Amino acid sequence: MRNVWILARNSWQENVRGKFFALTVVFAVLVLYISVLLGALAADQEVRVLYDFGLSFIELMGLAGALYGATTVILREMEAKTIYLILTRPVSRGEFLFGRFLGLAMSAAASMATMAAFHLLLLFLKGWRWDSLYALALLGAYLKVLITAALAVALALFSSSVLTALSITLILWTLGHFLPELRYMIAWGPAQWQMAPLRALSFVIPDLQLLNYRDQLAAASAQRPPTWLAFSYAPLYAGIWLLIARSLLRKKEF
Amino acid sequence: MSAAALVFSAVSKTYAYSHLGRTTYTRGIEDLDLSVALGEAFGLLGLNGSGKTTTFKLALGLLRPTSGKISVLGHEASDFRAYGGIGYLPELPYFYPFLTPAESLGFYGRLSGLEGAALEAGIGQALAETGLEAVAGRKIGQLSKGLTQRVGLAQAILHDPRLIILDEPVSGLDPLAIKHFRDGLARLKRRGKTLIVSSHSISEIEKLCDRVGILKDGRLVRVAAQDEWARAKDGLEGLFVETVQ
Repeated sequence: MRNVWILARNSWQENVRGKFFALTVVFAVLVLYISVLLGALAADQEVRVLYDFGLSFIELMGLAGALYGATTVILREMEAKTIYLILTRPVSRGEFLFGRFLGLAMSAAASMATMAAFHLLLLFLKGWRWDSLYALALLGAYLKVLITAALAVALALFSSSVLTALSITLILWTLGHFLPELRYMIAWGPAQWQMAPLRALSFVIPDLQLLNYRDQLAAASAQRPPTWLAFSYAPLYAGIWLLIARSLLRKKEF
Repeated sequence: MSAAALVFSAVSKTYAYSHLGRTTYTRGIEDLDLSVALGEAFGLLGLNGSGKTTTFKLALGLLRPTSGKISVLGHEASDFRAYGGIGYLPELPYFYPFLTPAESLGFYGRLSGLEGAALEAGIGQALAETGLEAVAGRKIGQLSKGLTQRVGLAQAILHDPRLIILDEPVSGLDPLAIKHFRDGLARLKRRGKTLIVSSHSISEIEKLCDRVGILKDGRLVRVAAQDEWARAKDGLEGLFVETVQ
């Protein structure tokens, strides 16, 4: 665990000293400004538009940063050969992978929290009153980003190509928002054997709707799965993909 | 014979490259038998592509042998717990450019199991040993190649390893930096460290090593002790040319 923390701190240091957080702040200011403009167009729904648009934006920006990090974190170290000086020390490949992922998770959390702070400031200025559901929606968005990043790490190690990993992850991320519809199709589709490939795929696709509190809260009447289920699903799904990634990394030669 | 730091027993490594359904195989190392004793300075010589770096990567678990067994400091080469006793300087070492030499050494020292006063002492000693004190606070991305190479040596020795593997340590350095490196390696040898060094600079190997192994097309074709090349007409260079031609 000590090595995991040392590696995570090193990744965090890289992001703090690099342009990662500066870019986060720039994008936060820019798009929240756009959301203010959009809010002004819907005069009677200004706060609602600002609320929804801001949360969606925070999630998308968090996802973009984490996906870039997840698909390049190991491949970049392999290409730059910085991995040599780590794996020739008493550090297991699993520790290396989990350390880098923890660093990524910490950076994503800091980036999303920074954007949320800007967002909340704007909402308060517009007269919005604190609602704990905001925190739930933000946490759900963060967990969505994390499980997608875990999937991307494994795909990057499997394909050894950033572009391939990024493309497949984005397809699965999109499908992840339609998993309930896909399950419905499987249940009511033609003969079950014909649905077998789709059924198999439904186990691979992350169930992002489970964590999509922003949309669920907007549709207040919709039946929501229990929070504990969603919050247990996220570490389980991410954990499985990280274990797959570890097994792929153990087979790699440098 | 003293205990072995590194043992290769009938080790072969074949690289397989697949492209469009076709797999081509390239020999890296073939049937390598080699033993380096603790406290020995061993040089590995060979032309480009002869298998020197492959040999080092196999010893460090970065590559897996196709066949045969490798033992490092009494552990299997694939056992990462053995690496606490090893220092490694790769050819053209790469570092995180956002860190300073002192921070880099802190990072690698912690990963090698050092902490607290032992870590501070290790960093201070490694910086002093490699003459890096003056630039310890500058970003590595701003350092010259020679200074970066010194950071490479510093990270390889800061945890006081028993076995130090150096892949082309003086490659591309100016004469003054080479002299500095040579002195540093001689000090390590005097302190009883096991050194395994590859270099295209035969004169460096000649000055430092007790024995040399000469690799040709992935095969260890000759192992010679210091007195052998001392007796040879053209020294180690003559012995090397005669062997690889």
